[in-house]
Amino acid sequence: MSITVPAPPAAAATPPPPGGAAAVRRRGPAIPLRYAAGRIGGAAVSMLAVVFTGFFLFRIVPGDPVRAMTRGRPVDATQLAALRHQFGIDKPLIAQFGDYTLRVARGDLGTSYQYKSSVSSLIGSHVWPTVYLVGTATLIAALLGLRIGVRSAWKHGSRSDRANTGIALVLWSMPTFWLGLILIVVFSVGVGPIPGMFPTGGMSSPDVHGLLPSFWDHVRHLVLPCVTLIAVIYAQYLLTMRATLLEEIGADYLTTARAKGLRDDDVRRKHAVPNAMLPAVTLVFLNLGTAVSGSILAETIFSWPGLGSLFYEALTVPDLPLLEGLFIFFSAAVILMNLLAELLYPILDPRVRTS
Amino acid sequence: MPTPTTRRRAFALAAALAGAAALSAPAASAAGRADIARPASSGVHLQQAPSASGGKTLTVATNGSIDSLSPFLAHRALPTAVHRLMYDFLTNYDAKDDHPIDALATKWTTSPDKLTWTFTIRDGMKWSDGRPVTAEDVAWTYNLMMTDDDAATANGNFVANFAKVAVDGANVVITLKQAQSTMLALDIPVVPKHVWESHVADIGKFNNDAQFPVVGDGPFILTGYQKDQYLTLDANPNYWRGKPGFDHLTFKFYKDADAEVEALKKGEVDFVYGLTPAQYDSLKGQANITTDKALGKRFYALAINPGATTKDGQAFGDGNPALKNQQVRQALMYAIDTKVLVTKTLGGYGTVGTGYIPPIFATYHWDPDPATAYSYNPDKANQLLDAAGYKKGSDGMRTGPDGKPLTLRILGETNRPDDTQNAAYLTEWLKAVGIGATTSIVDQGKLGDTETAGTFDLAFDSWTVNPDPDYVLSIQTCDERPKTPGKSFAGDDFICDKDYDALYQKQITEYDQAARAADVKQMEQRLYSDAYINILYNANSLEAYRSDVIGSWEKQPQPEGAYWGQDGYWSFWSAKPAESASSSSSSSNTGLVVGIVVAAVVILGGGGVFLLRRRRTQTAEERE
Amino acid sequence: MIADFRRRRAGMSGLAFLVLIAVVALAAPLFITSHDLSAVYAPGAPRQAPGSDFLLGTDGYGRSMVDVTIWGARISLTVGVLATLLAVGIGALVGVTAGHFGGWPATVLMRVTDWFVVLPVLVLASALAAVLRPGVGTVVVAIGVTAWPRTARVVRAQTLSVEARPYIERAKALGGGHLHVMRRHILPNVMPLMLAQATLTVSEAILAEATLAFLGLSDPTKVSWGTTLQLARQVGAVSANDWWILLPPGAAIVAVALAFTLVGRALEQVLNPRLQEQM
Repeated sequence: MSITVPAPPAAAATPPPPGGAAAVRRRGPAIPLRYAAGRIGGAAVSMLAVVFTGFFLFRIVPGDPVRAMTRGRPVDATQLAALRHQFGIDKPLIAQFGDYTLRVARGDLGTSYQYKSSVSSLIGSHVWPTVYLVGTATLIAALLGLRIGVRSAWKHGSRSDRANTGIALVLWSMPTFWLGLILIVVFSVGVGPIPGMFPTGGMSSPDVHGLLPSFWDHVRHLVLPCVTLIAVIYAQYLLTMRATLLEEIGADYLTTARAKGLRDDDVRRKHAVPNAMLPAVTLVFLNLGTAVSGSILAETIFSWPGLGSLFYEALTVPDLPLLEGLFIFFSAAVILMNLLAELLYPILDPRVRTS
Repeated sequence: MPTPTTRRRAFALAAALAGAAALSAPAASAAGRADIARPASSGVHLQQAPSASGGKTLTVATNGSIDSLSPFLAHRALPTAVHRLMYDFLTNYDAKDDHPIDALATKWTTSPDKLTWTFTIRDGMKWSDGRPVTAEDVAWTYNLMMTDDDAATANGNFVANFAKVAVDGANVVITLKQAQSTMLALDIPVVPKHVWESHVADIGKFNNDAQFPVVGDGPFILTGYQKDQYLTLDANPNYWRGKPGFDHLTFKFYKDADAEVEALKKGEVDFVYGLTPAQYDSLKGQANITTDKALGKRFYALAINPGATTKDGQAFGDGNPALKNQQVRQALMYAIDTKVLVTKTLGGYGTVGTGYIPPIFATYHWDPDPATAYSYNPDKANQLLDAAGYKKGSDGMRTGPDGKPLTLRILGETNRPDDTQNAAYLTEWLKAVGIGATTSIVDQGKLGDTETAGTFDLAFDSWTVNPDPDYVLSIQTCDERPKTPGKSFAGDDFICDKDYDALYQKQITEYDQAARAADVKQMEQRLYSDAYINILYNANSLEAYRSDVIGSWEKQPQPEGAYWGQDGYWSFWSAKPAESASSSSSSSNTGLVVGIVVAAVVILGGGGVFLLRRRRTQTAEERE
Repeated sequence: MIADFRRRRAGMSGLAFLVLIAVVALAAPLFITSHDLSAVYAPGAPRQAPGSDFLLGTDGYGRSMVDVTIWGARISLTVGVLATLLAVGIGALVGVTAGHFGGWPATVLMRVTDWFVVLPVLVLASALAAVLRPGVGTVVVAIGVTAWPRTARVVRAQTLSVEARPYIERAKALGGGHLHVMRRHILPNVMPLMLAQATLTVSEAILAEATLAFLGLSDPTKVSWGTTLQLARQVGAVSANDWWILLPPGAAIVAVALAFTLVGRALEQVLNPRLQEQM
């Protein structure tokens, strides 16, 4: 998109990231302190609420993971009692809550029942595949969605707009897991003339060596889960971009701009799109929650070794410390992203700051 | 009016985001690698890279999970099976008929009072680090489990009756508190003392996945493990029974069973197990795939709540009192058509349930006399219920002597699709004889809760049985009921039958196998007529493998046993690569090429749209 | 307004489709007998391919997929509508209260709303469904409790704008109590917007029902689109390529969710004049 920046003064021609940063610096303290403090405080309160909810949500109805964990194994009563003690579920709920609060305060999320290792290390080892998948999908979905959203809005009512909006709405109405299953049937198994060309699951094959082959191996594994996830989040980008831009188009200054005799294309590129970009880009951050939910399903269907499949696994036991940990982690990630968006917004849009 | 600066900032943010996401991809793979590159997996790569090129690999698809790789901690089926491959046990089970045979121990004797067992340890065996395997390793492993609660987590039950374990030269001498006929079925992986001594302090936390290769003495050596991705083993070239036919054995983790089947079809994996009938049917007749329908080691039963009680006989829970009546329980069994369950739920892949021990264990399996066996007979069910005092009302539904309608709650588990299907059948059959039924299908955790609380009437129940039947027999004894109401208990169904318990005590002290088998069959007969725990069916174990990769391998037991879930390492140890293993690799290469092309198209699609747009705008600008 | 809605083709076709589905679902007991849905007396063999006997083949029990899909509409729509009623109910209560009273109750309520907006909905809903007893009621609660915040925000905004109108001042001056003002003046003005929100929420709820069923958190003994898909997956219909079991429930979800979305969007446009100009 930076290509469309019209011949600007030399300073503005610098590539966007440094240019943006410089602009921020020039403005001095970009975020009013009170505003920032308020937002950060709010996020902290949200986080606290998440931590407490995390505990009571999963423990208020006491589960018996011991029996589930040892299903079909020869164990005697002594071993069961030892396990209950080890899991700390032989204590009353209030004592468990005390343990939990102290642990979480120390940054210790506890020990998973089914993996017998610390929840933090499990999250640590599963977080990158998820970031990799969600990051790639978000990037592609945002680029496609925003781009097509602009076109749709500009030519609203046209056949291409109707088609694009229609496709977006259909994708939005599609259950993620169902789409994943269908993609496996069509592109992994192969239907009719379509050969099964993508792996059915996993992130990589253990027996591929060398830089280039293993790069392709990663890409091949990424395609189907990524497409599934894109389908989930794409619609929101497109529809939001379209709606915001439509609002901009109705705004007075554009009418003025057009009246001044500016070409339609220029009005769009120089005035309408940049202003509509803001809410749309903020949406990238705000949509993380949807992306997380989508990734739980996509990862489960495609055996992607990330946090989503970890969550699914934890649900079936139920592995309480892992569920609590993931709940806290997912919520924290979304809260953090929201905070980031809120803090960045006034920097990007002076109108917000002054109002 | 927006200024160029505002716009630039928006772009800046977009670009920063794009950059972050783009960075995250390489960062992710780098991090993924860093993750493998803990001491653990640097080992994998060093180990694997040179050998993988030279050897043949057998890849197994699994949707199992690994709770721990420590033999002292692991509860799950998959790590238990892997331990079989990594460590030799004291004894093994014969591939043909499951009878106990030599492994670490070459021979064994018992004292006349039955309390002392002397095992002679094989001479000349070596751990994979070159140190000799000795009687000391065996004794140390057992003693650790007897003295350290954490070390007893997984297999403590096997040594619970041990009074003393001592070393006498090449012999291990085990002294028992009371006679125990299961001494040749000690499924305990024996670990190298010199490696594990340093982990005693944190034995409850050490997962045996810190350093690869893991020192072992089994037919395979564990060389790497990547959580939720794969687990790799190499053949042990010095294994005393002979080197395995494949050089490498890889377990690939799947969360989705259908993905496993597709992976087999495409040759990404060479063996899948635990297939559903639909999946099995879809693999039948496929090129280069051999399907196998084996007798299962698992029973699938309908457990009837006898009214939950503790060891001291204190009653709790709210099981329907009608079920205390044997006639009512037997009526239920006459109302259920197990043949239909086998043909419909199992797609015909299974046998109608009879005795408690599955037919695959021929020594201990018991079949009822056809004349008195439960068979689908609603008339008989109605007679029995009438006789028990549960009369049909005008609406066709029965009410008890207390005037309350007879309604039973069926309990099943979400992860076992059989439960949902069978509950649907049961509900209709019970209704046909005037019994109302409600179903709740819950997750494992809640199922455990409801069972421990004794707040169910009928529950689907399934256990895997070992060649030695002691454990599944023990869970139906009075002693295995909970100590306190509503607390976890090792037993299955709160059953307490003094006659059954007497027989249980008799068989556990009977060292003559034929006599013991007779006792066990009598116990099964007892369970059958009590009708608290009713075997509905024994499902087949459905599996499939690539015949272009695996040439031959052994089942256990033969001829009807399975390749997966053996009580030995026979399948993987005996597997020989197929003569021409080239066809699969070429086909996967085609797949690779096509895949790369399409992947490139899809991934570059976004970029393409961009470039296209750019071209267009540029030309537009040029035209200006 | 109605005439305005009629002009919107997408919305109208969505509505027509929904009416059709609703009629079919309501009338289902007239042409689908309990025998057709019985496991024991199922009319066909399990997993029979589509043919002259069964237009869309049979499911894992041997029941006609046509019947199963139609019957599934009953549970899926019920869950969708009930969960929406709950969500919109909570949302309206919170929104109107916050908008009408203002001050610290509004701050607290909107703080809570913001918090709920932030939480990953699926994680929260599956946690709820996992701890409560499985069943249709639980799924309704899990969806309802997680889907209300958007309605609350919209309703609050509308309430604020209504409160600013002069006749509310007048009503208050004439001694109208809070309840009176809320019921007689605010609610009627907020109602249409709530309807639009509700329509959009239904499609979300139907998707959520299917997803929770897929995660094994619903009651698998009830025939819904979600449970049919979950059962199909559990018995391995995907790799057996039994597309006739996978396709109808999934397509039904897409169609109904889409129809509700189309109607909801059309309603929104009709009710919100600002949006109207643009379309």
